[in-house]
Formats: sequence, structure tokens, C-alpha cells
Amino acid sequence: MSLLLWLAALPCLYWTEGVEGAPSLKTAGIERLCVPPDQAEAWRKAGFSAVALGGADLAVREPLLVPGIRVRADRASATRSPWIDANGWRFLRDPAGAYAYDLPAGRAALAAAEAYVYGADAVLKVDPADLESLGRMTAFLSRLPASALPDVADLAVVDDGSGPLGEVLNLLVRRNLLVRVVKAPSPAFRINVQLGTKEYPLREAGEPSALALRIRRQLTDEQRALRIFGSEVVIGRLTGDAAHARLHLLNYGGRDVDGLRIRLRGAYPEGAAYVAGQGRRALEEQVVAEGATEFTLPTLTAYGVVDLSAVK
Amino acid sequence: MDRRSFVRLLAAAPLAPALPEALPRLRVVTSYRAAAVPGMPGPYPGRVVAVKSERSVDTASNAANDDVVREMMARGLCALTGAKTAPEAWRRFFMPADVVGIKVNCGGHPYVVSSYEIVAEAVRQLMALGIPPAQIYVYERFQNQLDEVDYAPHLPEGVSIVAAETANRHAENRGYDPATYVEADLFGEEDTRSNMMRLVSRRLTKIINIPNVKDHGATGATGCLKNVAYGSFSNVARTHHRGRSHTYSFVGTLASVEPLRSRTVLQIMDGLRGVWHGGPFARTRRYVFYPKQIMFATDPVAIDRLLLDIVDDERKAHGAISIWDRSPEHLKVDDGAARDADPDVNIIIREPGHVEYAGKLGLGVADKARITVQDLEV
Repeated sequence: MSLLLWLAALPCLYWTEGVEGAPSLKTAGIERLCVPPDQAEAWRKAGFSAVALGGADLAVREPLLVPGIRVRADRASATRSPWIDANGWRFLRDPAGAYAYDLPAGRAALAAAEAYVYGADAVLKVDPADLESLGRMTAFLSRLPASALPDVADLAVVDDGSGPLGEVLNLLVRRNLLVRVVKAPSPAFRINVQLGTKEYPLREAGEPSALALRIRRQLTDEQRALRIFGSEVVIGRLTGDAAHARLHLLNYGGRDVDGLRIRLRGAYPEGAAYVAGQGRRALEEQVVAEGATEFTLPTLTAYGVVDLSAVK
Repeated sequence: MDRRSFVRLLAAAPLAPALPEALPRLRVVTSYRAAAVPGMPGPYPGRVVAVKSERSVDTASNAANDDVVREMMARGLCALTGAKTAPEAWRRFFMPADVVGIKVNCGGHPYVVSSYEIVAEAVRQLMALGIPPAQIYVYERFQNQLDEVDYAPHLPEGVSIVAAETANRHAENRGYDPATYVEADLFGEEDTRSNMMRLVSRRLTKIINIPNVKDHGATGATGCLKNVAYGSFSNVARTHHRGRSHTYSFVGTLASVEPLRSRTVLQIMDGLRGVWHGGPFARTRRYVFYPKQIMFATDPVAIDRLLLDIVDDERKAHGAISIWDRSPEHLKVDDGAARDADPDVNIIIREPGHVEYAGKLGLGVADKARITVQDLEV
């Protein structure tokens, strides 16, 4: 991938401070900026990949949730699982959309990884205290081996553009149910979730968590392409073809998860992980049996990616 | 990894009083075979020796008497095994090559935990058999609980005191065996596996189980079965949620998973102290009581069947509702403060029937008419 291409694939730091602050950004490893139009040239001259972004342009971008977990006393949940604020479903629903994060301290790295995982055009307003962690994360993302594999999905969701459908989509993604968003039912999938039909009445969307659970049980855990054990706060995105798979893992919990166990449908005897802050890690206790592959990821920080090969 | 998996589906429910409306499908995955005589129920099914001593614990200070405890243990184990001496009794279960785990219970800190005196005496007897301290492990799931209780000053150097996780955060899994687990979707949780501790499956050859006499909000009482089951597997808090509990079938199922079942060869119920409400915790002395007894068995079900009555009798003595009470008027879901303040409050429908269910799984004898209790006094 060329320098320009990988830079374009990374989320963009929105920065309104003057170019005199360039050294601190350089020190943090930040290379790509979205800046007010009148400052763009100065930043380019300072050696940055600077994209002009005016206040009006920023305002029309879809605002995103701060990624992470929180206690939601106002929401009843069918499970003990923590409430995850995640944006993957928005990116899946509108891959061509333009998005903006407004992030408190401590969340920039996860947000950058989240946008990267879904290939989203996202701008990040961050707390200056996060520059270093953001720089480390973007540097890590930029060094990942290139991959252009298609999404793996277990079911289709027919997007009617409605709010209730969005919440159902959110809950499905959070449960690591791999979905493909379609405009009309797809014969490629056994399960097509279309709200307002006899099978998925609109009233069920009022309890999106329960509906997502029902869909999961329709699919059955045995038929799922991806299972994650050892955490309830990790969301995966799986891409792959007959020979290779790439699994992105986003950890929303705010603390490292160790010994995460992954089960993927398909036989992948070879694999390696790249974990933010840790670099390349070998997969542990890898087992290929009964049409599935299981392995342990030693540690997952905010983000990790696992590349697998069907050929030894 | 070259392994054979033995998968057992436990879907059928035995008939029992207060049967929960539906039992979940539990899938056991393990590559370990049962021993010729599995540790549970072991060589003495349905047999319990209960040793009591008024001098065993000072109720004013909550301190146990080391000398009395040692005598209680010697008398109890000799009576259980028919051995003439304590070393001979211990030799019936252990040999110098064994790697022994001592499953303690630290959840009732500070008032009701596995006594230092009992744990220390077990270690002393194991070492007297020729088992080096490096082959003895005192274990719990959570390091923060072990740290609070702090067994180290009471044990010889070289004995390991280990946990699988630093605390109950569901983020540390490396202490667990990814190939030995029970899989179940109980409440729609995403992580559907409960994995056995690696220490248990890959290092230990024998286990001594030292639970306490405790009330429990989800199981009615927690004793041998729950201590060794929930204390040896990951991700078990998921079994109770919003007033409902799947402990009825889950406790016994975990305890029956090999190699835990075969390796747990001795049950020592520490009933010097107990907690009759608010368990498994004992953060105040309000609900602490003093049975002043230690029970010995190889059969965890038999001891736990007796335990249910001990806890329930104490509750009745205080005018509190029974552990068998399932009435909605006493249920305040997830209201721990109300439960702590009022012994007539349940926060979950309790499942004391888990003991009988474990009996149906072959872990021991739950029928009181078939349990033989030998009472001794020191």
C-alpha cells in the first residue's frame, strides 16, 4: 500500500491549534491531520498530511458515540453483560458516510482502531492528553500487513433506514453476530432479518436485545462463523475468503483481556496476531477440528488483528 | 493439540422438590477419563464423620484453637478411614508423588473462611507423608480474596498459594484450561463457556476440599459441591441473574467434570464457624454462628445434604424464612442491601435442590435415610 493510500485509510485527527505545535504532534507520531482550511498549507509545509476541514464540514458529519463500556441503569438487559457503546453498526450501515468522534481523554486510541476496522471516514477530536496513545495506535495501524478480504457474514439485515432497525443492528454487532446489511432479502443467507414481516414484527424491535438474542438462537451458536470466549466486551469483525481470514478484535473494556479464546468456522492451521502495543504475537493452543479453528490470543489490548491461513 | 473430547449432554432433569421450570442444556467438554474410583463420591459414599468440640473456637475473639483442631482432624480422619493413626489415615488418600491442591474458601472474609488451623494441619500431614511443599498448592479463583485471608504466615515456606485471576473481572483467562469446560447459554450471555482451572486439570493429582458452613443467596447453602465447582471454573457468576438461578444443575455438573471429580479425594467441611444469612459473604458478625464442628467425608453430596439442614435450622432458630422458600413476596431481585438488612429477603430464588441433583449425577448420596453420620466429641 502506498503512503498516501494508507494515510487515507487511517482516521484523521481534527486539530485547530496552530502549526507552532507541530513538534509535539511529530513527537507523538501523528502524521495525518484534518485542519481548518486556512491552516492546511502551513501544516503541509510542516511535513504533515493535512486535509482541509472547515467547521461547517465537521458539523455535517455524523456524530459518533464515545466507544467504551458504561453502566446503563436505565436499560434492562437480558444478560449480565456490560453495556457497550460501539459504532461498528453505523459504519456497516453506511460505509460511505462521513463521521466524527468527540472524545474525552483515554478513548482516542480505541476510537481510531474502531474507525480503521470498519474502513470508516472518521475525524477524531481528541483530548491533547491522548496524542501519544493516538500516535502509537495510528503507527501500529499503518504497519499492519495489507488485506482486502471481503466481510464474512452469517445473516442479512434488510435496512429500512429506520431508527429501530439501527438499534437491532447495533445489538447484533455487539453480540458478535456477523451481519451483512442489504437493501432487499438475500437468497445467499438462511436468515434475513426484515422488520415489519411476520417473522420479525416491528413490535419486537422495541426490545432489540431480546430480538438479537432470538436471532442468535435462530442461527445457533454452532453455525456462527465467530465465537469469542473469555470476555463480554470484545467485538470482532471477520473478513476472509477460502484461503485466508483476518479477524479484527476491538476491546471496549478499558483493560487488557488475557487468554481470549476464539473459535472460527473453517480450518486455519496457520496464523499470527498483531496486537496494539505488543506487536506480533503467536497464537496459542491452536486446534483445528470438526470444521472449526480455535486458538488463544495471549493478550488483547484495545485492538488486535489475527491473520489466518487455510494452507500450512 | 492431540486430544479426545468426551462430550456429555445433560438435558434430562431428575425429579426433585422445587424443580426449576426449565433446565438449561449443559455441554461438558473434557479429554480426561474418570479414575477407577473417582474421588467423588470416593470409597465412602453416604458416610460422614462429624467431630464437635466446644473448645474448638472462641466465639468472643472468633479464633480457633490449633491444638483442638488438630485433634479433631486426627479423630475425624481415623474414624472415616478406620485407620489407627492420623498418618495412616492420610496415607489412604495421598502418596509422596502426589501434587495436592487444597481448595479453600475465602469468600466469607473476615469471619467465615477456611480456617488457618485446618489448612495448616492438612499441609503438615501431607508433608509428613513425604510430599514436598513445592507439590502443595492452596488455591482459590481470585488472588484478591487470598490476599485478604493471607494463609502464608501459617504455612511452611515453599507451599504455593495461587489463584487463577487477580480479581473477579472476567478479563483474565490464562489460568484456565481452554480444552476443559462446560458450555451453556443460560441467559443469553455471549461467553458461554466455564473453563476448569489449569492448575486442576494439568498440575494437581489430588484435591482436598475445605469449604465452610455458609448460607448462599443462589444455592441455599454453599458447601463442598459449590466450593470445589464454582471455585475451580471460570465465568460462573453468570448462572444467577435477575432473581433466577441455574445453580440447580450447574453446580453438580461442574463438580462432575473430569478430572476435577476424580481428583477431589477428601472433603473437610470447616464448620467451626458459619454464616446463616447473607452468604456467601460474612462482612459483619450479625449472621455468624458457631457450629463448632468439622465434617469429614469423601462424599460431598452427603455433607452438603447435612449442611442444608444446619443452615436451615439456624435460620429457623432466628425466625428467618427457609432456604427452601420460593415465594415471590420474599423476593427482592438484586437488592443486596435489603437482603443484608432482613433475613426474610431473598434476592434470587434459591436452589438447595442442587445437592439432590448432584446426587443424581453420581457424586454422592443425597437421601438422608442412606447417609450414615458418626458423631464424635473432642
